[in-house]
Amino acid sequence: MKPVRPSTARSLSPEGPALPRPVAADVVLSVDALTKRYNGLTAVDGISFEVRPGETFGILGPNGAGKTTTLEMIEGLRKPDGGRITLLGLDAVTKRRQVQERIGVQLQAQALWPELTVEETLKVFGALFPRRVPLEMLLERFALADKRRARVKGLSGGQKQRLSVATALVHDPEVVFLDEPTTGLDPQARHSFWDLIRDMRREGKTVIVTTHYMEEAEALCDRVAIMDHGRIIALDTPRQLVRGLEFDNTVECTFAGPVDRQRLLALPAVSDVRSEDGAHFLFTTDVSATLAALMGLTDDNGQRVQSLQVRTATLEDVFISLTGRRLRD
Amino acid sequence: MRTFVGMAIAQGIILRRNTTFWLISIFIALLSMLVFGSLFKPESQAFDLSVVDEDGSEASRSLRDAFSGLENVKLREGGQEDELAALRDGDRGAVVIVPQGFETALAEGGATLEAYYDNSNLIRIGYVTSTVQAVVRSFNEGLSGSEDAVRLEQQAIDTQTTRFIDFLTPGMVGMAIMFNNLAVGFLMVSWREQGILRRLGVTPLRPGTFIGSQAVSFAMLSIIQVAVILVTGRLLFDVHIEGSYLWLGVSALLGVLCMLSIGYSLASFARTVTSFNAVQQLVAFPMLFLGRSYFPIDPSPAMAPIVQAVPLTHLNDALRQVVNHGGGVGDLWTSWLILVAWAAGGFIVSMRLFRWQ
Repeated sequence: MKPVRPSTARSLSPEGPALPRPVAADVVLSVDALTKRYNGLTAVDGISFEVRPGETFGILGPNGAGKTTTLEMIEGLRKPDGGRITLLGLDAVTKRRQVQERIGVQLQAQALWPELTVEETLKVFGALFPRRVPLEMLLERFALADKRRARVKGLSGGQKQRLSVATALVHDPEVVFLDEPTTGLDPQARHSFWDLIRDMRREGKTVIVTTHYMEEAEALCDRVAIMDHGRIIALDTPRQLVRGLEFDNTVECTFAGPVDRQRLLALPAVSDVRSEDGAHFLFTTDVSATLAALMGLTDDNGQRVQSLQVRTATLEDVFISLTGRRLRD
Repeated sequence: MRTFVGMAIAQGIILRRNTTFWLISIFIALLSMLVFGSLFKPESQAFDLSVVDEDGSEASRSLRDAFSGLENVKLREGGQEDELAALRDGDRGAVVIVPQGFETALAEGGATLEAYYDNSNLIRIGYVTSTVQAVVRSFNEGLSGSEDAVRLEQQAIDTQTTRFIDFLTPGMVGMAIMFNNLAVGFLMVSWREQGILRRLGVTPLRPGTFIGSQAVSFAMLSIIQVAVILVTGRLLFDVHIEGSYLWLGVSALLGVLCMLSIGYSLASFARTVTSFNAVQQLVAFPMLFLGRSYFPIDPSPAMAPIVQAVPLTHLNDALRQVVNHGGGVGDLWTSWLILVAWAAGGFIVSMRLFRWQ
């Protein structure tokens, strides 16, 4: 009997040849038909992708899309229920420790001992790896030199975040995983954090970052995989993803009352309409024609348009057009 | 090795900076010693002592006089049966019986006295026995003859039992070791809750290295605590360590390993710090009393196997053997063996169930 999804069936099953798919030399990470289930729920549903050396690869998706679970399986924190992960030429499941010596990981929670100082924290993490970056260099680079004797519990959110990334880089890893690194940071801290990620890219490190901020993915990533409900629904460069849309602009509008979707679709130059929580997203190829007609439109109760926002298409619109939902809840 | 040392140092620093963590068990131990050592100071424990003179001789009368005029002792006289009955009623601290033929035997160089003690008053008994012993000793010296002209035959008590504080001090060492090392589970659960263990789980660190280095830091802390308790016992209450420091150290370390392994096992079942605390208390407090840290207990036959199953019982036994009785390996090995068995079992369970998240 032929399996429905041959790639998944090739997974970790003991029987069968289970030959690894040949991994090209210019691939750092290859994920093939990766699957994870929790209590009957499929958190990651047979996803496949490849990451090239030196690239900053983004995994974009709403909370619960399966981004973190995907990273955790690659990092060796969770065992996949199916599929294959080849990282730095090694099977990430069976050669877990060898892989872990060469990857740097920053988890979502800033998991550091509050009692230790900055310096002690970096030292203890340094002791876990055979290869180490000099302490002074790390302190300098992450702007923590004047905080070296400060306890972790007294650091600001941004300082903690920088220290957390520094602990992921103590051993000069070839691949760096960052799980929602800027969640909870203020805009300024977020932008200086982006600079740190760009530095890593300049040094030739491969960076894999998950985020639910589309502007972050657009600003940082060479390529972006968009995840939803455990699947990758699109994967390309941010520019190509946006260009692939059949429209250039999005008009977001609200009305006091309900509006028949067909009437919105009938507006000039509108290629598609998505509605969520009373907001309507009109995807248009000619924004002025659409707007002019929209001004005259009334809802089913005869009320005119209440609010209006026009923007050029972004990754957010890619997500909306693919799923009908917004990225952020 | 570098990983192990680095980890152990970091763990040590974390422990040291969690001051309340290790201060509490020391505090409870020292407080208990102060309360039981000073509040019930033996000197304040006046008691009634009766001498039953069955010989009626010169020698027996002079022995009786030796017991009179003692501070805190009210001397009574009477027949053997009445006095023993009074002892059973708790009205006498001790009954000393001078048997018939005492004088004759003394002249021949070896007389015997029988002493009965009220065994139920734990705080007083040490003082009572040592008083009787001291009187007999000075009586012997007064005879200017051989030192054991009058031998004391003691009844109804463990002749080795000394003061209550001597009993209590090793028990407090055992208690501190238990509380301090069970608490390793608290750290594990709270680090798991905070995601610190997850963070370590994405490094090449092995669970065995992690736990081993942590055990070293806990052992160091425990040794310091034990030293503080024993030095305080010596300075304030003159509690002597009769046996060797080596056997004391071995007993304490086995206790540390045993309690750590139980702490880790509890941590692998508990999901939250709150539930760990509840489970820990559920384990620690029955153990504290069944394990005889504070009071000697004489369990009913039904309870005896439970008392024997409690690891703290054996830790306290080993510590008392060394501290009070100067015990050697021959007296200690059964306790050690049971502690090792507990430690091995606990570590097997906790390594099996170990999880970074």
